[in-house]
Amino acid sequence: MDENTLIFMAFSIFAIMLALMNFGAYGGIGIIVVFVAIIGIVLIFIINYADFLIFPLFTKLLNIKVLLAKGYYVPKGGEAVIKVVNGIYYATGYLTANIFNYVFTAEHLNAEEEAKLAESPNVWERILMNISFPFKFNIISSAEEVQKFRDELEGKRGVLEYHLSKEMESQTPSQMVVDELQSKINTLQTRIDRLSAGERPINEVMYIETTSFGVSEKEALDKLSNQLEHLQTVFGSFDISINRVIGRELHMLFGMNYTLQPESEMSEMFATQK
Amino acid sequence: MASSPRTLFAILIVAALLLVLILYVLPLPGFVKGIMAIISIAIAVLGFTTKYYSYIFIPALKMKNRTIVLNENEVFVMSPAQNSIVVRKGEDVYASAFVRIPVYRSATEMNEQERIEFSKMFGRIVTLSKTPAKFCTQLYVINKDAYIAEIRDKVDSFEEKYQSLTGKEPPEEAERIKGEVTMWHNLYDNVNKIKSQNLASYAMVTALGGTEEEATTLAVQQADELASGISAILGLTTYIVQGEELLTFIEPDHMIPFNTISEEATATEAQSV
Repeated sequence: MDENTLIFMAFSIFAIMLALMNFGAYGGIGIIVVFVAIIGIVLIFIINYADFLIFPLFTKLLNIKVLLAKGYYVPKGGEAVIKVVNGIYYATGYLTANIFNYVFTAEHLNAEEEAKLAESPNVWERILMNISFPFKFNIISSAEEVQKFRDELEGKRGVLEYHLSKEMESQTPSQMVVDELQSKINTLQTRIDRLSAGERPINEVMYIETTSFGVSEKEALDKLSNQLEHLQTVFGSFDISINRVIGRELHMLFGMNYTLQPESEMSEMFATQK
Repeated sequence: MASSPRTLFAILIVAALLLVLILYVLPLPGFVKGIMAIISIAIAVLGFTTKYYSYIFIPALKMKNRTIVLNENEVFVMSPAQNSIVVRKGEDVYASAFVRIPVYRSATEMNEQERIEFSKMFGRIVTLSKTPAKFCTQLYVINKDAYIAEIRDKVDSFEEKYQSLTGKEPPEEAERIKGEVTMWHNLYDNVNKIKSQNLASYAMVTALGGTEEEATTLAVQQADELASGISAILGLTTYIVQGEELLTFIEPDHMIPFNTISEEATATEAQSV
């Protein structure tokens, strides 16, 4: 959880607790106040960790659609962005696709990682051969502040060096622990050296987008669901975390087709992702 | 101003705390205090939602006909030079430029070491831009609208010619026109049978400016820098995307062109019958 969220959460729960503390003075409805307060706190946690459940539920129940821009709207289910052209409905949906286990420029690739890296272009081409509808694979990257990243790495190296010196000073130093610590320190040192050589640390977000069409909104949405399921299946061959994007994040990803947010807002997005 | 998450949050939390303060200080009946406590809890929860939903807060209050309007203008306008798109968000003007990355190599023609190197190149490309950048690979339906329209015109014109034959023409001439009709018909039938798709990779950068010109110039400048970096790494010629090609990367109806898909849908239907 990032700092900003923590502040929002702390103040909101503090206000609720303050209202709750006086519950003895509420007479007969004191118990209702306690009940509402509990629901309020639970709701805050749900909104923070799973707002994709709450917002679409709200729009679905109240039958609300969101107009993102002229010609583009999100239907009440919040699962797609719809555009209507010449009576044809175009529905665009999104999947998160963060690749965790692929190391693009690792310092020390082990045999398994190297095999994955060598195999990845083949896997990608096999995926393409199995898709017969339009889709996009997007990677959004943003450079991190070098000095901050460097300070973090140096801090981590300092801690490891302290552990290493403690281990060396002990009466029976374990060679395994020493080797492990030494290896971690070397990795951090390599990263620091790469920063000194001018490389930039970056944050990344990856997602998949696909568009379907139909003569009615329902047809387009049904086709879209099939396409997204197909993409989930074929991209399963990558070590990839795939989830359908619904609600608020859909609005944000739609906007990123046209503009990328400034670095400050991006870093907030990356912080949320972690 | 009021739609910034922190401002809205501060307003709502202060309102919730004020209500709590009132019920602590004023000698009100218990029932009224309880109602006020419930309202303050509701406001506190609402305050937390501004963390994620501040952008929708004010439009939701102004909602009409069960539609929340976030923006009723065009999502973007094309810059006069057609080499970027311009998006206005309040007072801010953003321009986005796109760099086409024509990758022609296939994994099947690479050995293991080349494949590792190729993957690593992508690692270097995504670290190229100092500002946020988007890298995208897109599979889309090739726009055959013009081609299909041209063939359809030919079919129509030769059918008309064939029907206007009086029987007095030399037999070779009638035979030639009949042959042309058959040829264009075959071409028209076959062009719809196959789904033609293209794979394209591109990068996108966005710049913020005080005016449209400033934002556009900055975006194109950033795109130029990125294009040079990508060209150097991959050893190929990249270029800034313009006009119609640019629309293919951002508009769903250009990703799936209307006439092409409707012709294809008709052909598929005819085949299944």
